[in-house]
Amino acid sequence: MRFLGFIIVCLTGALLLYGTGEFPDWGDPNSPASIHLSDHYIEKAVEETQVPNLVTAVLADYRGFDTMFETAVVFCAGLACFLLLRDFSQKKERFYRHTPTGVILHVKDSKKILKVGKEFEHMDKDWVPSDLIIKTVCRILIPFIQIYAMYVVAHGDFSPGGGFQGGVIFGSSLILLAISYDLKTLVRRVKEKVFGIFAALGVLIYVGIGVICMFMGGNFLDYSRLAPLVPGDPHHIRALGMLGVEIGVGIAVTAAMAIIYINIVSEGRHDEGL
Amino acid sequence: MDNYPALIVIAPLLAALLAGLAVWIKERLSYPIALMGLAVSTFSAFKVLMQVIDSGTIQYKMAGWTPPMGIEYRIDLLNAMVLLLVSSIAFLNLLASYKSVEIETNDRAGSFYTIYLLFVTGLLGVTATGDLFNLYVLIEITSLTSYAMVALGDRDRGPLASLNYVFIGVIGASFYLLGVGYLYLKTGSLNMLDVANILSGIHGSSTVLVAFILMMIGIWIKMALFPMHVWLPNAYTYSPVAFARIVAPLMTKVMVYVMIRLLITVFGFDYVFETLNLADAVVWLATIAVLAGGVMALSQKNLKKMLTYIIVCEIGYMVGGAWLGNQLGMTGAILHILNDALMTFALFLAVGNMVYKLKTVDLIDLKGLFGKMPWTMAGFVLAAFSIIGVPPTCGFFSKWYLILGAFEAGAYHFAGALIISSLICAVLFFKVFEICFFEPMPEEHGHVDSHSHVIIEEAPVSMLIVSGFVSLSLIVVGLYSGTIVNTIILPFLK
Repeated sequence: MRFLGFIIVCLTGALLLYGTGEFPDWGDPNSPASIHLSDHYIEKAVEETQVPNLVTAVLADYRGFDTMFETAVVFCAGLACFLLLRDFSQKKERFYRHTPTGVILHVKDSKKILKVGKEFEHMDKDWVPSDLIIKTVCRILIPFIQIYAMYVVAHGDFSPGGGFQGGVIFGSSLILLAISYDLKTLVRRVKEKVFGIFAALGVLIYVGIGVICMFMGGNFLDYSRLAPLVPGDPHHIRALGMLGVEIGVGIAVTAAMAIIYINIVSEGRHDEGL
Repeated sequence: MDNYPALIVIAPLLAALLAGLAVWIKERLSYPIALMGLAVSTFSAFKVLMQVIDSGTIQYKMAGWTPPMGIEYRIDLLNAMVLLLVSSIAFLNLLASYKSVEIETNDRAGSFYTIYLLFVTGLLGVTATGDLFNLYVLIEITSLTSYAMVALGDRDRGPLASLNYVFIGVIGASFYLLGVGYLYLKTGSLNMLDVANILSGIHGSSTVLVAFILMMIGIWIKMALFPMHVWLPNAYTYSPVAFARIVAPLMTKVMVYVMIRLLITVFGFDYVFETLNLADAVVWLATIAVLAGGVMALSQKNLKKMLTYIIVCEIGYMVGGAWLGNQLGMTGAILHILNDALMTFALFLAVGNMVYKLKTVDLIDLKGLFGKMPWTMAGFVLAAFSIIGVPPTCGFFSKWYLILGAFEAGAYHFAGALIISSLICAVLFFKVFEICFFEPMPEEHGHVDSHSHVIIEEAPVSMLIVSGFVSLSLIVVGLYSGTIVNTIILPFLK
């Protein structure tokens, strides 16, 4: 069986190499890929879309329909994690810490639930006192990471960046919070429900903008039809439409990342993380 | 309104997102939202089909950009038919699934409907699109959702089956994507028609040949052509019933559609059958697939698994028919997409009813089922006759075209395989009938005389109605096959 696999791999490799025989030269300015469509994008994109970043123009406008489904893929991944991993059943054993004294309680009766508040707090099984330095540094860093994430989303039209990148940066700030404090801090700050709603809402913003274009008499995602709805220079309407969908992508990616992280590290229980 | 082509795909997507919101707000709403989305989609697909029959191919430019700059939906007779097929089967299945979803997904029905709708969106998008890369993105959506669904099924074996499916599915999708990449290098375009135009000038290129082989292998893996079928039986057997009922008839058939689309529209008959010399080899492969699928089905002890091997066998029919290289064979293959989707759906609906009552469907569990579930079994028998190919059920007619095509092409081995597989299917199904009809019901309290104690325990009415409707449609479609061939398939192939 292993030998068979080896032969198949070799054959596939040989096939791929055979195909490279007639590749255009490296960096050839006359290769089909650089003359057929690229010329149009390079020469006309700024004029047609008013977006100086050509990559964004292709991604969010010319081929915006693909990007919408890519966002749906991210949403789907988050939802699949929730669907398969989320475990609502109560854990049998729980640990609490009595805050004033530092005494740790190990509760084995699954029905006995202590009220968490001023006196008691939840505790992980493998609890390590969180490090003051790490906590402080992360606490200072996180807001800046988040502001930067929003900048990346908003500035995607002009510079490298956009919804996916900004969303990932924002999502990682939330994950940093969960790592430097503990998972419960994150879950307590932002409810699971909020993540769930935002993941769907992000994609819904994207699809919704497309549907509004349809109601305004254009084709799906034809941003130019939004002009009557938005004040300001109608020439920039395509850029604004792209900004709108990028924000949707950012929201969806952030929420999906958080959902995936929380569900995987806690095996769906949302109590103890890494 | 000219937005129907987009609505077919957008309506279920929008419904999926709203259902996803409803999970967190009011979970009960997700079912009606899903139904509504699919109803709109089916209606639009119907409108589009009528429009295409009346006035020819529809082109819909996404975001208003002229292709090849932007993405276009290009709907001709072939995909209009497949779109209506997919959306209506998805809608009917959802109608029948309410109760079984409640049972099988515990408290997660809302998320189930969301993923279900995304899966349907993917299938519809794959069918509607006229863009090679867009097709890949939607294949990704269908695959991702089906991995999740399979893992959600059987507690013990579902996750493992899903993992196998993930590995093989990802390989299939990457092969396709690699092929698209090679094509892009040579053509600089992703639009199917545009690529086809450029390709007609560079038929001899080795890069194009490799692209073609890669894309075909990718699609074959996705449609489970023997010997690339190993993921399918387990994945379909262990997924939740409500999902198995839609993935089994549709996923493989949509992939066959993609193959036919690549053969006809992108690479073109001239390239595939004149420049390349692969057709004979592929027809042989299909012949082996038909026989192997049949033989493997014979050795199964579980009804659901047996049916999944029959799917492997049917895939061989369609691949072989499409590669015969003549009009009759292609007609048979396209007609069989429609017929096989309906037959498999009818079979799985019946099996779904059995699972609802019996929990497991090993062949020995089915004893006395004709007495216990007469209506379900009536549907099952009709669907089985159609798979065997008894006239006037629809299965007969597509098989007829396939055999005629095989004779015309001189592929007697393929014709022989078709006939043998019909016999194998007959043996298989009569074995099932025998168990269901003649063997007495298992006695639960020691001795009970089996004459007086037949208690009818049928599945819920909603499931029965859908099952009956689909089974009857097998005969209706069979009687109207002439019309379907003359108004849809032949004009398309001209």
